[in-house]
Amino acid sequence: MKKFLNSFAGFLPLGVLWLSPLLAGLLAVLYGALDGEAWLTLFEHPQLWPALAISIGTGTLSLIISALLAFWIVAGLYGGKLWADCSSLMGGFLSLPHLAFAIGLGFLITPSGFIARVIGSIAGWAVPPQWVTTQDPYGLSLVAVLVLKEVPFLIWLISSLLARPDISQTLKGHFRVSQSLGHGGASVWLRVFIPQILPRLKWPLLIVWFYGASVVDVALAIGPTQPPPLSVIIWSDLNNADSAFNARGTAGALFLTAALVGLALVWLVLKRIFLPLIWKFFIRGPSRRRTPTITAGLLLLFFCAVYAMVFVVLCVMSIGTLWPYPNLFPTEVRWTAWQQFVMSPAPLLNSLSLAFASTLAALGLAVFWLETVPEKLDTALLVFAIMAIALPSLLIADGQYLAFLRLGLNGTWPGVFLAHLTPVFAYVFIVLKGPYRAFDPRYRAVSLGLNADNYRFWSVVKLGMMKPALAAAAAVGIGVSIAQYVPTQLIASGRLTTLPIEAVTLASGGSRPLMAVFALMLAVVPALAFLVAARVGRKPL
Amino acid sequence: MKLSRRDLVRAASAAALLPLFPKAGHAADWVALEAQAKGQTVYFNAWAGSEPINAYIGWVAEQVKARYGVTLEHVKIADAAEVVRRVRDEVKAGKAGGSADLVWINGENFHAMKAEKLLFGPFANGLPNFKYVDTEGKPTTLVDFAEATDGLESPWGMAQLTFFGDGAKISAPPKSMDELVAFAKANPGRVTYPAPPDFHGTTFVKQALYESITDQSFLPLPADSVEFHRAAAPLFDLLDSLHPHLWRAGQQFPQSQAQLKQMLADGELLMALTFNPNEPANLVASGGLPQSTVAWQHRAGTIGNTHFVAIPINSKATAGAQVVANFLLSPEAQGRKADLKIWGDPTVLATARLSADEAKFFATGVVPGSVREPAPALPEPHASWVPLLETAWLESYGT
Repeated sequence: MKKFLNSFAGFLPLGVLWLSPLLAGLLAVLYGALDGEAWLTLFEHPQLWPALAISIGTGTLSLIISALLAFWIVAGLYGGKLWADCSSLMGGFLSLPHLAFAIGLGFLITPSGFIARVIGSIAGWAVPPQWVTTQDPYGLSLVAVLVLKEVPFLIWLISSLLARPDISQTLKGHFRVSQSLGHGGASVWLRVFIPQILPRLKWPLLIVWFYGASVVDVALAIGPTQPPPLSVIIWSDLNNADSAFNARGTAGALFLTAALVGLALVWLVLKRIFLPLIWKFFIRGPSRRRTPTITAGLLLLFFCAVYAMVFVVLCVMSIGTLWPYPNLFPTEVRWTAWQQFVMSPAPLLNSLSLAFASTLAALGLAVFWLETVPEKLDTALLVFAIMAIALPSLLIADGQYLAFLRLGLNGTWPGVFLAHLTPVFAYVFIVLKGPYRAFDPRYRAVSLGLNADNYRFWSVVKLGMMKPALAAAAAVGIGVSIAQYVPTQLIASGRLTTLPIEAVTLASGGSRPLMAVFALMLAVVPALAFLVAARVGRKPL
Repeated sequence: MKLSRRDLVRAASAAALLPLFPKAGHAADWVALEAQAKGQTVYFNAWAGSEPINAYIGWVAEQVKARYGVTLEHVKIADAAEVVRRVRDEVKAGKAGGSADLVWINGENFHAMKAEKLLFGPFANGLPNFKYVDTEGKPTTLVDFAEATDGLESPWGMAQLTFFGDGAKISAPPKSMDELVAFAKANPGRVTYPAPPDFHGTTFVKQALYESITDQSFLPLPADSVEFHRAAAPLFDLLDSLHPHLWRAGQQFPQSQAQLKQMLADGELLMALTFNPNEPANLVASGGLPQSTVAWQHRAGTIGNTHFVAIPINSKATAGAQVVANFLLSPEAQGRKADLKIWGDPTVLATARLSADEAKFFATGVVPGSVREPAPALPEPHASWVPLLETAWLESYGT
């Protein structure tokens, strides 16, 4: 009974602050979608099917290319001299929000952008070329942004898997066995490592897939327009003046989610047919192919170059008040945009307060759960956490908007806080769970034996040893909160403005320098958080 | 000013209703209202994609704070439709104190709010400064997209579809849709317009409708879809002949007018369009466009309208909101707004009727980038045309 009470107490704050807003959102969106008219008009929308095709196409393509590139780079560099640099660089790239990256990359590749100017100044183009780059009809520039952002995410995950002693030990053993059977490095990766790592990445890969197929802010900044991805159509419906459009938007969000979940299930079935075929390939005789060290190194270099160029271009853009084509550098440099940013700090302050509060709350909830609830219940919570991350934020945020309406939470800081906590807690819990549960209980016995009481053991010994994990989880939480666009826009109802809200508004029209300032600030806050976390993680006890 | 008879009748009947509204300028009432407004916070929900506009609203906030003790908070929104949705949902949920006190609004959004009784008022004609409004010379101050305002919104500024580009690159600006087709043919890939349902894109399509429809007397009337497809057939013939010569062969369109402006400034396009006739001159003044910039309107006239401010029915600060709306109509605020160096939004006031003291707030003279030969403002078609136009456009060009 006491055990049950303990578990219940562990569940209570989480239930109130996190689970009920999540479930209320999902129920509200289902209830809101009980509108036959909305579904009729949705299926009459002339762009529905092409837009769905764009969404699923860009999402799927970005998933496949990201996974291929990530494994290519890891296979080429793992165990080599560049590996440590690679994993820490990728961790750094990871902290740059998609939106900031899209804005910077957009200015690199647009027909009057930086790359065109460089080529134009050599080739002597008087007018910008008629390239089809940003907003290309097939969404390839959107795919490019997604790939360039998701590869660091996947490599970061793979490298943290490979850093686990149990896994690295096993892999080392398998490597030796395969080599003595005559397999080269590439063959070992293909036939032995990837089949072992891939199943552990199934949820992250699903998240990458669904994210790419339902993202709103990046698609607004760089995605195709005629037709746009379905997420953009849903988004404009949700923000329309006409309630019939709002209902269609809710139906659309549910439809897109159902389509994605349906496809994921189809994949589960297809996998059963494909896997045996693939297996035949895997058990074929030895292949001497070596790991792609050189191409992987070049790819890493390419990533560094793109991220550096995006960063530099954003910096120059932020002070270039006048920067007409074909000038390589602005003709007029002023700090006006930065001054404006400093003069009206509300977006930054709101972003910071939401990020810190939601991250702190998430850490508290996660630690409380991990301390009071038995490990076997983790899986149940994990299912909800993955739902909170993988389901399109359009769906959850629209549901929370509808649910919060009845509670008067829209347009209030607590409402936006709860909306941020939804994904933030999910990430924090996933990051923290592994290290926390792996804590060796014998340390407790030792501490108690050394006359420390329970609280002292927990606050000094356990939290001390958990510090790197807590710092990493906090950095992830802050990064996730800072990047929230869809929930903030819907729940804040214009009352609170944050960095991504301003960045998207400016990207839809407004000054380029100010847009660059917001993109940079979007990048700076999470980057600082990751730097601090990395320092804390490195410090010895 | 080219107006259909029906519009004139509407405007006249709206003007005739004026005496029925709470009596304008009743000094005692107004003083009481100002007293009530003191200390209130007014959440002004206004589109915030442009720095000059944000700066101007910031100035207004300083003024109303100093003069009337009203705190004005600019709630920056990307689209007024967000506010309509929010107010509707708040009212539906029975929330007493709404989140918006003043909204920058017109057209469809106003229609929706008026039809659903989401607006406070009538109040506009009771504002002391309403007497300066040019309701005769600018009938759209009383008729918003063929719908009478009935005092539920107060005019703020004027707008008219205007095109602009670099005079050094364009010798003869195209001053009709037919000339535009020829211009695009001669300069393939260098002309485009934002995709509807973007507001500027829809306005461009309405302009094309005006210039292609055989009987313009249809336009102020509610359109049903059968009638629409017959009437709009020539429009789609026109667009079919234009699109192959546009940017990206008319397969893709920019999302917004701001993007169009940026593409013009970057030299990707030869011309852009705006709904603010003073915007090109404003951009020249701020250094965003070269001195050689020219602005023009189509010879036979272009679509024009008025934008307004309205007070949602669930506002917590209706007194404060009215005080702000009144200040926005003052010659000082209107003159500053019309100043090209500040914002350059044309005034709704009858400047000719102002006393010398009041008129001093308005700058005069021709500057680079201003419209040299102003054309008549064509009234907006009835709002029911808009969804039909947008859907038909999407069906034809959006897939």
